[in-house]
Amino acid sequence: MSDNTHSTGQPGKEDHEEAVLKDDAEYRQQHETLKRQQAEDRERAGVPPEPKVGVYICRCGGNISDVVDVERVAQVVGMVPGVTVSKVHTFMCSDPGQHTISNDILEQGLDRVVVASCSPFLHEQTFRGAVSRGNLNPYLYEHVNIREQGSWAHKHDPEGATKLAIQMITAAVGKLHNAQPLELIKLPNHRKALVIGGGIAGMKAAAELAARGIQVILVENSERLGGRLNDLGRIYPSETLAGDLVNDLVRQVRNNPKIDILLNSKVTAVDGFIGNFKTVIEGPFGPGGGFDKRDIVVGAIIMATGYRPYVPRDGEFLYRQDRCVVTTPEYIQMMQSMDPKAKHLEYNGRTIRSVAFLHCVGSRQLDGIHEPQPDGTLNTYCSRTCCSTILHQAVALRKRFPQVQVYDFHRDIRTYGRGEEEYYTEASKAGVVFFRYNGEEPLQVERTPGASARQSNSRKQGPITITVKDMLTWGEEIAVPVDMVVLGVGMMPSHIEDLVESIKLPTGEDHFLQEVHPKLRPVEVSVNGVLIAGTAQAPMNIQETLNAAGAAAVKAAAMFAHEMVELNPFVASVDASLCCGEGLCVTQCDYEGALQLVEKEVDGQMVQRAEVNAGLCVGCGACVAVCPHRAMELNGWRLDQFEAMVDGLMAETPHADCEPQLVNLG
Amino acid sequence: MADGFTPKILVLATEKCAYPGADAVGKAHLEYPSEVFILRVLSPVLFPEDYYLRAYSKGIDGIIIASCGSDCPYHGAYERLAKRIDDLTIHMKDGGLEIERMRLTAICTVCIKAFLKEIAEMEENLIKLGPVDRALAEKLRQESRQRLEFSGRYGLTGNAATAERVAL
Repeated sequence: MSDNTHSTGQPGKEDHEEAVLKDDAEYRQQHETLKRQQAEDRERAGVPPEPKVGVYICRCGGNISDVVDVERVAQVVGMVPGVTVSKVHTFMCSDPGQHTISNDILEQGLDRVVVASCSPFLHEQTFRGAVSRGNLNPYLYEHVNIREQGSWAHKHDPEGATKLAIQMITAAVGKLHNAQPLELIKLPNHRKALVIGGGIAGMKAAAELAARGIQVILVENSERLGGRLNDLGRIYPSETLAGDLVNDLVRQVRNNPKIDILLNSKVTAVDGFIGNFKTVIEGPFGPGGGFDKRDIVVGAIIMATGYRPYVPRDGEFLYRQDRCVVTTPEYIQMMQSMDPKAKHLEYNGRTIRSVAFLHCVGSRQLDGIHEPQPDGTLNTYCSRTCCSTILHQAVALRKRFPQVQVYDFHRDIRTYGRGEEEYYTEASKAGVVFFRYNGEEPLQVERTPGASARQSNSRKQGPITITVKDMLTWGEEIAVPVDMVVLGVGMMPSHIEDLVESIKLPTGEDHFLQEVHPKLRPVEVSVNGVLIAGTAQAPMNIQETLNAAGAAAVKAAAMFAHEMVELNPFVASVDASLCCGEGLCVTQCDYEGALQLVEKEVDGQMVQRAEVNAGLCVGCGACVAVCPHRAMELNGWRLDQFEAMVDGLMAETPHADCEPQLVNLG
Repeated sequence: MADGFTPKILVLATEKCAYPGADAVGKAHLEYPSEVFILRVLSPVLFPEDYYLRAYSKGIDGIIIASCGSDCPYHGAYERLAKRIDDLTIHMKDGGLEIERMRLTAICTVCIKAFLKEIAEMEENLIKLGPVDRALAEKLRQESRQRLEFSGRYGLTGNAATAERVAL
């Protein structure tokens, strides 16, 4: 790298000009001769003329050029067959940088473009745009990553990084040799959304969509709207009534001409793709409320199917064995239905003088400690809402019945939201007694020795004893007798297995629906046109659920802004001249209707041929591998392109520290 | 390395998981050898056996399939991929090509350590094994093509085709 004088990160004046290839008469001459020979060979063989590729290498203001000898890269790749232009620019993504691309396409007749710069996730779309502005198909473009996977990953190996850049660009040029122009797939867009689930997430999403002028079908499988919130009382951190929130949302969706509410109904089948989902809904639509089916075509689907609370196994913490061991939802129901004038807390005939709240029941389960679900999985995740729920309820209980002693047993306390940590402070002030234990040494909930479940109410000791190795007292073993145990149960996804199967929705290891990207695309799933709202995705509190629902609705509304749906062109395609109709590919396709054998007439005979429905194909490529004739390819990612890339990588390339040789793509 | 052998490693990295995972390594300014070639793929389930064998025959010493694992966004693709790689390694083993040259793994978008570990382990294995036997790989590639063509004629996939062919 001794001749690398520009690598200061401080671009000089010449950096804004195109890099002039070093005047090395000998290489140039060899290069020209080789190119001329190849062109003649092609002409003789009747092969169309070689593509004219423009290669642009970005310095990234020193981020790349401090390590990679970009001028050298430009010089060497300039000799790769097909490369007509190779230039260096300080910031390819800048206006002048992009302008260079579109200008060169127009002026020099380039028909392929490579930009070597940062990760494709940052600027692939940018440069496809620049290519389009040069009136060239944007899919005749390849992006090479020489920053994240180049200069930054090989900082102490400038020679290696330079060589790698040359190889990766050569590979990209090779890939482009076999590239074909692609068009976005355009399909009609049905401006109607199906919202599955009439809880707060579904109602919020429906209201937001309707407010944007979009027709909504809101399907709820129970007889009333509101979902889980119907069972709650006061909610944290606002201390408002859950019922008020539900009523407010119900008012927004009911009598809204844009929203069709279908109660006691179920979505039983979904077929199709973004803008064109054919759905079947079963419900009381028949004469006199009789059961019937409806076929409805919608453009987008919002999954607001919510959660179900974890139900402890029989005997887990004495659940269903002692009449005063309840889950948080049961406890909230009990407090809701209690006589507001009651002076004592009583449940199932037992006067309650002490209550223990247990955290993490059915959440953060540990292998070897907790018993798995019937399907063998452990709920390893944190359900996020139980800590605040417990502290909220504990504080309320101490206020309502100051004579009742309240104990809190936790592994950790995670009151993460705004206004939630205050409940922890308040609970401490209100005299709630905290015990903390290690998850590896779980607490025991047993009947108090000698206590009978039917014991009279005059006894002093609670009939249930919780034994814990308490970390707050440095591992002291403490036995706490109590009258009632409240299990802070976590969230599990609703039983939507049929929908997951029918729409081919991706789920995570925790069985919740999985977004495309937790940060960049948090409410979308890999199936285009399907969005997730609320706890169908993960445990969330009410605020987060409403945020997610609003986001999903707006995302759907944005989709409906277009008359046509535009789909990525990276789908499978069949070369009819190679297909023999054996149908191996069809057996590999998991997406119904995406790939089929159809009857076709070829040379006057009826034969079977594979056919792709571009709207249903997701582009996984499972079908490509099994075709014996290479008739099946994935557009934009063809096998011959991947082969050309390997050839490009392995081509004899000149090295920064050895004699330059001509690149031969073979 | 005394003999100056630097293994050439091809990493087929999924667009949704492993490719951003490899980016994360660079963003953290952590380093790995520069003879590691990372190609972005939608899903490696795309590749027939002969693609991998062809890569070996061209001088790639080791291949890491950096998939999304169970987070694969495509239905059933990971399971099929795993099965295909199982079949491939059986054929490699039968043909005498070291199966340590092939590694199927899952790398997430932030799995920096896992990525570096996979590279280091492959590097170590390959240094022990030495350069790939390109002629053998080419022979296996041709056999694999024949197997695929045979499967087309009899409507079989994967090892079923091999078994059936042996039986015939």
